Amino acid sequence: MANNILELRGVSFTYPGAETPVLQDVSLSLTEGDFVAVIGGNGSGKSTLCKTFNGLIPHYYTGEFAGEVILHGKSTEGKTVSQLSRHIGYVYQDFENQLVRPTVLDDACFTPLNYGLADYRQRGERALELTGLTGKRHDFIWQLSGGQKHLLALAGALAMDPDILVIDEPISQLDPQHARHIYDILRSLNERLGKTIVVIEHHTEFIAEYCRSVVLMDGGRLRWQRPVHEALSAVAELLPLGIYPPDVTRAAWMLRPGAPAGTLYPLSCEEAEGSFARRGATETAQRIERAGVHLTELRTERREEHETGLREDHQGGHVAEHGVKGAGEQAVGHGSKGAGEQAAERRVLRNPNHSTAAAAAGEQEPVVHMDKAGLAYRTIHKTLQPVLSEVSLTLNAGERVALVGNNGAGKSSLMKLIAGIAQPTAGTVTVKGITVNGQPPERLAGTAAYVFQNPEDMFIDDSVRGEVSYYLKARHREDRAETVERMLAAFRLEELAERDARLLSGGQQRRVSLAIGAAMAPAVMLLDEPTANLDISTKQEMIGVLHTLRSHVETVVIATHDMALVAEWATRVIVMHEGRIIADGSKEEVFADALLLRRAGLTETQLMKLSRSLGLPQICGSLEEFTSQVSWQEDVKLEHKEEGVALSGSR
Amino acid sequence: MEAVKRALDKISVERIKLELLGNAYNSSSTVLGRLDPRTLLIWYLFFAIVPWFMHNRTILLGMFILMAVCTVLARASTFIIFILCLGLITQVGWMFLLSLFFGGGGESVLPMLTLTLKLSVISLASITVFSSLDPERLSDGLSALGVPDAFAFSLSYGYRILPTLLEEFHQILLSFRLRGLRPQKNGMLYWRTAAYYLRIIVLVFYPLMLNTAKRSRTTVEALETRGYNYAVNNPQVKKLKLSYLSLKPRDWMFAGVTALYLIALFTLGTAFPELIY
Amino acid sequence: MSTLKTRYTLTQSQKMMIFVLSMSLYGLSNMFTELIPSVQLGPIELSVEYFAFIPLTLCMLFHPLYAAVGAAVGEIIFGELMLGQFGGLGELEKFITFSLAMYTAGRMVSDPKNRRQVGIAAITGVAIHQFFSSVIDIVKVWVGVEELEAVQGLAESVVLIEGVSFLNDVLFSGILFALLPTLYLVPRLYGKIEPLLGMKPRERNMQYATGAWLSPKLVIVGTLLAAVALGAELMSESGWSFGEFELPGAESNEGSLIWISIAAAALVAAAIILILRRSARRRQEAGQLDG
Repeated sequence: MANNILELRGVSFTYPGAETPVLQDVSLSLTEGDFVAVIGGNGSGKSTLCKTFNGLIPHYYTGEFAGEVILHGKSTEGKTVSQLSRHIGYVYQDFENQLVRPTVLDDACFTPLNYGLADYRQRGERALELTGLTGKRHDFIWQLSGGQKHLLALAGALAMDPDILVIDEPISQLDPQHARHIYDILRSLNERLGKTIVVIEHHTEFIAEYCRSVVLMDGGRLRWQRPVHEALSAVAELLPLGIYPPDVTRAAWMLRPGAPAGTLYPLSCEEAEGSFARRGATETAQRIERAGVHLTELRTERREEHETGLREDHQGGHVAEHGVKGAGEQAVGHGSKGAGEQAAERRVLRNPNHSTAAAAAGEQEPVVHMDKAGLAYRTIHKTLQPVLSEVSLTLNAGERVALVGNNGAGKSSLMKLIAGIAQPTAGTVTVKGITVNGQPPERLAGTAAYVFQNPEDMFIDDSVRGEVSYYLKARHREDRAETVERMLAAFRLEELAERDARLLSGGQQRRVSLAIGAAMAPAVMLLDEPTANLDISTKQEMIGVLHTLRSHVETVVIATHDMALVAEWATRVIVMHEGRIIADGSKEEVFADALLLRRAGLTETQLMKLSRSLGLPQICGSLEEFTSQVSWQEDVKLEHKEEGVALSGSR
Repeated sequence: MEAVKRALDKISVERIKLELLGNAYNSSSTVLGRLDPRTLLIWYLFFAIVPWFMHNRTILLGMFILMAVCTVLARASTFIIFILCLGLITQVGWMFLLSLFFGGGGESVLPMLTLTLKLSVISLASITVFSSLDPERLSDGLSALGVPDAFAFSLSYGYRILPTLLEEFHQILLSFRLRGLRPQKNGMLYWRTAAYYLRIIVLVFYPLMLNTAKRSRTTVEALETRGYNYAVNNPQVKKLKLSYLSLKPRDWMFAGVTALYLIALFTLGTAFPELIY
Repeated sequence: MSTLKTRYTLTQSQKMMIFVLSMSLYGLSNMFTELIPSVQLGPIELSVEYFAFIPLTLCMLFHPLYAAVGAAVGEIIFGELMLGQFGGLGELEKFITFSLAMYTAGRMVSDPKNRRQVGIAAITGVAIHQFFSSVIDIVKVWVGVEELEAVQGLAESVVLIEGVSFLNDVLFSGILFALLPTLYLVPRLYGKIEPLLGMKPRERNMQYATGAWLSPKLVIVGTLLAAVALGAELMSESGWSFGEFELPGAESNEGSLIWISIAAAALVAAAIILILRRSARRRQEAGQLDG
């Protein structure tokens, strides 16, 4: 029988000076070996809750505290954060700031050394082994990637061999592949070493896959604590709180209006197998070899859609078909000029010059033109490390371009070249007829606007209004007052205009950063991971905001690994891998090529997977689109899953 | 005078990371780098203080030779040595020129030379020692000699946080530049451009202060959960941390050779105080 | 059930935050100022000596002691050690004078919203620091050169060079990189940066409970006295007699006089360090709001 490792009894907490408590009468118990997700909207008290576990509240954050925290059956009253931290490891959301030593091994050993444990070195080494960082142990922290830093923060916590690990938003800054890696490690810690793991998480797909139980926080109160399947099936309850259960779950919920509360829905594509059926085509069991059939369908579909691009479509489809087999030796280099040499690497699915948007724009000059552009950095070994090689690309007005690929595939670097922030080490980049090479960034500002991944890096003034008007003010534009008002209105920032942008929520900060870019009225706007670090509901909102952008800018380019965003927003997808463009085409074409996606380190969304396995005419971008094409199969049993939950819950 | 612009280019994140941090941790490969940090620090202390009170030119010259040899052994970067020489020459040179103006004559050269010699010995000693110690060993050595732990911690924390700070500085600076307007004309002696850059460098610190404040808060909070306060001024932890320091035969040899050299030098110096001039 | 009482105090961690903040920011700026080239006009150097506005601002907004010491540590670590220019013991004197000056400036401000107060404090802080470093430089030459007065014109030239650089640093660097930015930053950051560190802003006329002996008045009067003393000494050295008095035996034994002055300087330095450390410790132990 599992023991309660940690218990909260009637805990309330109010920050000094605050009117309302952040935690109200929270009672909770964590079972040993559990894998718990804490969910809740912004400001629901998730982080505050977790900070009571190791005594940060009330010892570090002083305030009005009531209630009792019981660790291993003993009250923690009178124990310091340091004492409690021997049993509870904490990884912060901004984990970078918890790494305090210059090198990897040193940081991993830091905590045990502080506690005076003689075997601190072995502990550090072991923690690195558990997180797969052993090979990096003599590296500097700054040489690590974001994901590795996160692992190191985890290793620092693990070195103390704590019973409980609390991780605040483990994957918010990672691409799906690295996110999965982190969760796999957490799972093995949980299953192999029996650690109790608590994550604050809003990616419900990961909760569904990895967690065992869910704690829902709402307005400082604990609403419930349930096994994961039950928890995520409460779609109607979660949606108003801004928590979006996995697509599959929501689709099932939408397709079964009037199902009684407490109905269990599938959480993953595997569970949903057989639950959905393509509307109209009743023979659901039919599961044909995907690629062939799918591509054919795709081609017919698209032929109907755009007649202008017929020839390219045909060729594109052809290339894609072959590309699936042999890494594309037969690929036809019919892309923009200069693509010939790289044809072997690059599978051009469709010539971008002939996209519908461009056709509509007539013979207009391209917004961005890159000719064999390359970029290289000097490394610590004094060698040149190429980040981009031989990139040739033409972007036209009216396109919504998504740059996709792994972390480190060169997406940001490509955008920095266009914005003139980085100078190409080879080739040329032309934006609106201006050659970027050698221009100071000030020069290109009004032509190509770059919106940083971290909005805070863009905040240089002390109010939202100041941020938006800075560019116009520097140029003494006379119409700046109206422009600023227009922008504030367009991005719904009027109410926040006098606030300091740094103190706004994540979603509001994004809107400010977009308004800053839009106020410059650039021809091309480059957004680096605009949905990173946002919870799902804010992400939904962002997609709306991105559509607002269209009326202010000729071309928008987004670098992202958020496939849902690509599916809902983009008209053209450029896939990057190791500094090269490996595919360029419409989203339907790119999504249809599963091998390509895998090679670029992209994971399909559940909707994409389902669309594919159901053989829908195209990959669905939104739930509405999906639910309009499928229906629910009533006869599916979910019992087997419930058993599984019960089993794992009682271990 | 593109100097300002060039200097700004120099402040590229990657460059500083590579140059500074790479070199800082690269010192344990030299002969001196393998010595115990305490040996080096005590050795340094001697050569940083004693020359001030030496007026015997022979001894000073002898010390200078020793320092020069050690600097070569430490493989100090030529850039730093160049900077040092330049500083000495300008400082002492101006003093000499002005003293001529105030009625001095050629005879003031000799005392000035002695001063230069002293300053060089002291500076070379510090270059030798501090380029032979990587930050970790330096902070351990200092804390073994009784310097407060907070300083030792800050030292390595500085190396940890510098790249992050630089990165952030760079980003904010870029934001200023991307949204700002460079002066159309450079002005006389590039003063407009220089003023533009200096102004935004100062302005960058406003957002940077706020961002760093946020960061410091998490860092200090994390230190709490990582037992830092438990360790501070805990002699046991300190002992454990410094247990790897040990005086090896080569430390004794180094000290012995220096001592022998000094004895010989002092003997020679007292016998011939004015061997050179 | 337990209820913990709320303490409105500057906790150990908050002091640490101020220290870390000041150290990293000023350290970073120091790295830049070391790299920014200077314009040399003859012996006068138009250089960006330092971004004194950073420690000044922080000293005025937060507890001045931790901000001042943090900045001084930051300078040593980032500006000296990392750039490989660590001058060893020579930095110790910089450390002491700099933190003393910044601390004094911070203490002079009782109301961060009062621009005049902020401005005066900022320029005074720079002046105190520059004065001390000039004096120390002069003393160094004194110690370093045997029979200083035997060399015609050397004493005068040293004083001239240091005097000019003092004026340059106070008027050029002091106004451009201490006074103006501080005036710009302090009112803007006041009330905004403190909550980010989880603290309450300094209130008007807050009293400093401990360390009151090291009041700005004392430091400023001390500085002025030192200035007078030095001036008189220099004048007598250079022959412009200014009241005839001599220490007994000074004539015959120049060497021992130098030793005595060094010993005195060392004693003063040691005393300052001791006092600073003790007051820091007292503060830590007390763990109370003294800012």
